[in-house]
Amino acid sequence: MSRVARLGAFIVMTLAILAAGVFIIGSKEYLFSSTYQVKALFDNVAGLDTGADVRVGGVHSGTVQSIALPHNPGEKVTVVMDLDNSTHEIIKHDSVASIETEGVLGSQFVALSFGSAGQGEVRNGETIQSEPPLQMADLLKKTSGILDNSQLAIQNTVQATAHLNDVSAKIDSGQGTVGALVNDKQLYSNLQQTTATLHETMLQAQTGVTDFQENMEALKHNFFLSGYFKKRGYEDSAGLAANKIAALPQGTPLKTFTYTAKQLFDSRDTAKLKNQKSLNDGGNYLAQNPFGVAVIVVSAGMEGDAQKDLVLTEARAMVVREYLVENFGFDDSQLKTLGLGKQAGANLDADWGSVQLLVFPAGTVIPADKPAPAAITSTPAVPF
Amino acid sequence: MTNGFFEWFGELGIFSWNVLKAGLTPPYEWRELVRQLDEVGSRSLPLVAAAGAAIGVVISMEARYSLTRFGAKSMFPTTLVYSVIQVMGPIMTGLIVSGRVGAGIGAELASMKVTEQIDAVEASAINPYRLLAATRILACILMLPLLTLAADASGLLMGWFAQAMVEPLSFHQFIASGFKGAKLSDFLPPTFKTAVYGLIIGLIACFQGMRTRGGAEGVGRAATNSVVLASLFVILADVVLVKFILVVFP
Repeated sequence: MSRVARLGAFIVMTLAILAAGVFIIGSKEYLFSSTYQVKALFDNVAGLDTGADVRVGGVHSGTVQSIALPHNPGEKVTVVMDLDNSTHEIIKHDSVASIETEGVLGSQFVALSFGSAGQGEVRNGETIQSEPPLQMADLLKKTSGILDNSQLAIQNTVQATAHLNDVSAKIDSGQGTVGALVNDKQLYSNLQQTTATLHETMLQAQTGVTDFQENMEALKHNFFLSGYFKKRGYEDSAGLAANKIAALPQGTPLKTFTYTAKQLFDSRDTAKLKNQKSLNDGGNYLAQNPFGVAVIVVSAGMEGDAQKDLVLTEARAMVVREYLVENFGFDDSQLKTLGLGKQAGANLDADWGSVQLLVFPAGTVIPADKPAPAAITSTPAVPF
Repeated sequence: MTNGFFEWFGELGIFSWNVLKAGLTPPYEWRELVRQLDEVGSRSLPLVAAAGAAIGVVISMEARYSLTRFGAKSMFPTTLVYSVIQVMGPIMTGLIVSGRVGAGIGAELASMKVTEQIDAVEASAINPYRLLAATRILACILMLPLLTLAADASGLLMGWFAQAMVEPLSFHQFIASGFKGAKLSDFLPPTFKTAVYGLIIGLIACFQGMRTRGGAEGVGRAATNSVVLASLFVILADVVLVKFILVVFP
């Protein structure tokens, strides 16, 4: 290789390195792509440097061209940024510039938010809004405040624990009422005896109640009292709630039988059936056709006491149900009752009320039973 | 002693003036210039590239260790790029060339001087300042920035290679994060300030060579002085140049 060729190769190679370097740095500085300038004003730039990144939506899209201190105390620091022309469509008049830090100790950069669609584009040299940077110093101040508070809280907890310790020690050593309770063996054995006695008493009481129920049943059939029950139409009030549901099932009834109370019952305020034969069409239908659930809905007229009427409608529904169940063959778990009490308007006979038998098709969900009134249930003995 | 010190500077001034006067006026010694460009430039390339590679590897290893200690490992590419292109590449090229070219020029001119070849050149109506000094000094000025670029490139390449041996780092990623936030003022002034080193090296070596007195001993002294003084002035000039660049290219 001749001397000149060698020299030429050397020069070409090193100039290529120079060109590569200039190109790499220049592209970082956006020297070779068309840019436009945007300004933002800050009270404090938190150590931002010329040449720092400008990121739009986290993408490096420009650099900080210059940072100028204001000329008057009332003004703000001006940050001039060179932005790539491709950001024209995103940076709008309502875009906000903020100075952020990469990680906790990283370098600062300017983050620009996207503008909204309706806003105009930012032209070269225009100023956009800014928000003050979050500075580590401020953050540390806040953290220090929080730490102070936590320290106070911990001190309080320590005091509280000490108090608690004191109290426990006193209880342990038998001081005070609680101490006596905890430490007195005699009190404990007394309590145990009392509980045992109480348990025995409860058992006796239960037997007594059963006896009393039998007595009452006997009384109902007694010559002197049976007339009352006969006239009322039913004997056992406990059965009222047996098949009662809270509300009508969902869906439309397959078939509806409607009777007036006057037609079925002996008098306006009893549940004693009179013309039970007229229920037979409903009973036959239930016996011959498959169905999901049938509901006897009874309502009373507007006269009389509301509470009594509610009981009356429930009783009438129960009586009608009993009749149907006894005289026609079908699954009686599918027949439910619903006593509505006083109902205005819907009644056929305003004074006496009405009885409806609503038959719902197969597949209808049987509604939940109406919760029975709270009764005394025997509680298991507490083992001491 | 003090007298000699100032005398040296005085003679250097007169010498510079003579070279400037001779170099700027035609006829120009193109053939000799090309010969010197080749001597200073292409022939120094292997040495400079090897030294640059070594520096790149050393900085790579040292920087990785210290940066990891400070938890700033992500700054590694930037650290390497900045150290190489701003400090190590230029100064190292300056010192290597002072050693190689400074000694070469000093010894060559000194032996020409003591064997009275320079007088012979002058007697044949050729200005020795133009033929011998101006061409060498210009070659140094022109070639040093190019050698610096070669040193930078080989330093960065080997620095990256040394890092990639330890943990994977793509060259693209290395360049992208290494030059992040870099400006042309971080790259071009440190590179082209080495033209000043070239001026210093060429000037001092030619001056020391052409003022040699005495025989073989004088030649040796001239070569040594060329290297020592050129290296010293390169480093001293760097102090001023770095400050100057920081002020002029903020």
